[in-house]
Amino acid sequence: MKFSPALLPLLAAPFAAAEHTSNWAVLVGTSRFWFNYRHLANVLSLYRTVKRLGIPDSQIILMLPDDMACNPRNAFPGTVYNNADRALDLYGDNIEVDYRGYEVTVENFIRLMTDRVPEDMPRSKRLMTDERSNILVYMTGHGGNEFLKFQDAEEISAYDLADAFGQMWEKKRYHEILFMIDTCQANTMYSKFYSPNILATGSSEIDQSSYSHHADSDVGVAVIDRYTYYNLEFLEDKVRDPTSKTTMGELFDSYDEDLMHSRPGIRYDLFDGGEDVARSRRILDFFGNVQNVEIDTGGQRNETQWKEELEAIERMIEEAKRRHNETLNVRPHAQHIVEEAEQMRTQQTIKEGAARVDEEADWKKQIIGAAALLGCAGIWAAGSLFESF
Amino acid sequence: MALISTILALRRDARILKVPPYLSAFLILVGVAWLLVLPLDEYARNTYVSENALLPGQVHTYFTGSEHNVFRAYRHEVATLDQWSVEDRSRRLKDMFSESNLKVASQKYTYHVSGRNISNQNVYAVLQGPRADATEAIVLMAAWKNMDDAINYSGVALVLALARYFKRWSLWSKDIIFLIPGDSTSGSQAWVDAYHNAHDPLTIESLSIKSGALQGAVAVDYPAGPWGHRYDKLHIVYDGTNGQLPNLDLFNTAVSIAAGQMGISCTLQRMFSHADTYRDRLQTIFRGMLSQGLGHATGPHSAFIPYHVDAITLVTVGDGWHDEMSLGRAVESIFRSLNNLLEHLHQSFFFYLLLEAKKFVSIGTYLPSAMLIAASFSIMAIAKWVESGRPPKPPNPASTKPTTTPSPSEKDTTTPEPPSPELPMVVAKIGAETTLLPTSSLEITERSLFFPLAFVLSTHFLSLLPLYTFNNLPQAHLRTTFFLAANLTPILPLLTAFLLRRLAPSRPSAQEITLIQCFSLLFLGMILSTLATLNFSLSFFIGVLCSPLSFVRMTRNYVASGAMFLGLAVLNPVLVVQVASQVGGVGVLEVLLKAAEGWHVWGLWTQVVVWLVWWPAWFVGSVVVALGFF
Repeated sequence: MKFSPALLPLLAAPFAAAEHTSNWAVLVGTSRFWFNYRHLANVLSLYRTVKRLGIPDSQIILMLPDDMACNPRNAFPGTVYNNADRALDLYGDNIEVDYRGYEVTVENFIRLMTDRVPEDMPRSKRLMTDERSNILVYMTGHGGNEFLKFQDAEEISAYDLADAFGQMWEKKRYHEILFMIDTCQANTMYSKFYSPNILATGSSEIDQSSYSHHADSDVGVAVIDRYTYYNLEFLEDKVRDPTSKTTMGELFDSYDEDLMHSRPGIRYDLFDGGEDVARSRRILDFFGNVQNVEIDTGGQRNETQWKEELEAIERMIEEAKRRHNETLNVRPHAQHIVEEAEQMRTQQTIKEGAARVDEEADWKKQIIGAAALLGCAGIWAAGSLFESF
Repeated sequence: MALISTILALRRDARILKVPPYLSAFLILVGVAWLLVLPLDEYARNTYVSENALLPGQVHTYFTGSEHNVFRAYRHEVATLDQWSVEDRSRRLKDMFSESNLKVASQKYTYHVSGRNISNQNVYAVLQGPRADATEAIVLMAAWKNMDDAINYSGVALVLALARYFKRWSLWSKDIIFLIPGDSTSGSQAWVDAYHNAHDPLTIESLSIKSGALQGAVAVDYPAGPWGHRYDKLHIVYDGTNGQLPNLDLFNTAVSIAAGQMGISCTLQRMFSHADTYRDRLQTIFRGMLSQGLGHATGPHSAFIPYHVDAITLVTVGDGWHDEMSLGRAVESIFRSLNNLLEHLHQSFFFYLLLEAKKFVSIGTYLPSAMLIAASFSIMAIAKWVESGRPPKPPNPASTKPTTTPSPSEKDTTTPEPPSPELPMVVAKIGAETTLLPTSSLEITERSLFFPLAFVLSTHFLSLLPLYTFNNLPQAHLRTTFFLAANLTPILPLLTAFLLRRLAPSRPSAQEITLIQCFSLLFLGMILSTLATLNFSLSFFIGVLCSPLSFVRMTRNYVASGAMFLGLAVLNPVLVVQVASQVGGVGVLEVLLKAAEGWHVWGLWTQVVVWLVWWPAWFVGSVVVALGFF
């Protein structure tokens, strides 16, 4: 089934580390209360960034346990800011919160990740990923050694999280995951992961606190955490548009312990291909949306390539036709339909870069089918014959 | 088993009865020394704000600029009110609040104490949090007259100006109540009682408007007149009635905002110049304990604390360069912090001793001090109980044994004593063994409990009499009654002892006297250890003043009895109160008046401890000593 190099990534998906076909983001804040304003601002900053880089709201699961914009203590009602300059209102007009308030629980989070949800769960609250989806999982809140607190009421342990990801891998719910966490002792949270293709990073080591970046003296609380702040700073400066080629490695290299006041950690070992491959992943592989558009630029060189490819396909079709004609001349009509469909499909795939791969209609299968039908008819005939006696 | 029987055998050891007085004295010494080491760095801790939500000093304050003119205008207006009648004053204050678009009300109250009337009016206004749910409220107040009976011009003006200013903010998560009590102690008490429906509606008016549960209260005491006065420091007063304290977080928030954000240094317990030396720290602890032990109301905030509403008073002291606006901004910032609260202050300590504004000792460190002193009485009570169960003259076991090998040196002076023939002996047979035992060692000593119990209980019961008398006597008779009590107190034990001996010459036997002391000390020890957990300072002071009671006993030696009685007479409760009030620079009459006011208005319990615990214990001890004379 090798038609051309252009089709290779699509058709060889199950075999090699190939590209993903969709991007999802799960952004989770886990703390309530006014003095945790910054955690909500962290999440909303990330939300804004992934939206800016192209992930649509339908593919972002946003979990906000509290509503800072409507807190009576908020001096600027209806807004959430992540900087004391208050230049950008993160709450804005177009924000879709999927899980809010007391819906943000450990159970709901794990059900979301593993898709163990009731049938009537609205699609906006489901993570509809498959084995070709890249997922960005960002969490922030108050944590400790191997746990992250949810809402002052419960906590998720590093083992729960690792098992949830393990189950996702078994259920083919992701292609690659970028796990980011900004909390105290964050690096312990990803220490128990065991499923492949997870690239994980956290804000601080075991026994280390993560710190807030600065406070707004009118809002009266800290507005953003350091780790998130410097990640955002990089994303804003270096990943300016949805076509950026900036790699994860560059992001990780930008981490500065002196600025963050804690030692951020990165875990490469689960990633297929290890550190080098993980570092060479583009930031947009996780923060942006797939946009594999074959752009028709340059003209000449591409045109010859196109022609060559078309000729090669032509030859393949001819070859296939010849084989079919030789072997299946008993059913010429059926053969004709198959040919046409294949032709259309190949053309479509070349044009659009995506196609559905049909089951191969082989002559052997036709014979087996016919034989099966004949057999059934024979058994039925024999049965009626016996009955008539 | 061997160990237990060894320990049980110790009960019979004569030496064991010698230990308790020394142990008791040792505990008292350790208890006092314990307190003396508390000011050292090893035992004191730095204060810290442990409630996450408070975030003290994280906000800009905007009570400046033109607000200053508003404040000045209010201060001039308040200054004109000082000659007005209470009714007119209240009406004008209400008008000023309602001009700021606040709901306003007033409350009349009258207390009858010591034959005089305490009568005045409270004015208060409620600012409903614009986006709040009206379930919680915080209180900002300035009493019309402060604790020194000076009119609180600038304090009242500041509350009015801040009410007007706070009304413009939309960020209040709780209602804010602005309260101007008629006086510093009873006024706020009447208001808080009525707020919680714990008042007597006959004399204290019910509140016509209310808000949610009170979460905190801050009082301002700034008696500067219409032309202002620049102050040097903020004196933070935090003692509540009966020695209850507000949550340390509130105190810490005020200190951290005033000192950290506004640059106003803070002081406490009237230690206006605190050099942070051992001596100053000890003095601060001592003053704090004295204030706590007395349990009196120390400001408008005191009334709130028994209702578990954390409250403090900010008093401006000294001459310096801080003006009213910096105080206003400090209050604004404190209210922004209180506004952040999600639940009642509960994280930090409720039991503490402060050494200075930023150093404290927590209950776990200081409590053993009072507990050890209380334990010294319990130990002596147990010792007396054991002693009372012994035969009157315990035979010396050594003297019953014939000394088989006397040492050569002793031979000259003492001859070996043969078993005294008159000592009654019994023959005991246990299985095949036969042994000869002195009869006295097998006798069971009966304790006659009735008389000692009746005596101790009736003493405690009769001391209700002075408690009632002093709480209810009119002012005019208080002083004479007190001096009567002062003269009667030392004579009464002598008289009682004399009458006891005269009426029933044999009655208080040696055993009964021991038991009387035992019950009295047992009662004292138990009460003091319980009290230590409620009001550490009071328990400590009473414990120290009662410490001689563990060691006095009846003796026929007149010189020793006289010395003991004299010592006790010097430490008698009435004399101590008199001397202390003279040393403290307040008259006895004022102490008595405040005590009566405390009893009827504030719910003060100190006199109960003095009259029903200390005085009876002292009386019983003195009677025991006095019995030696007759």
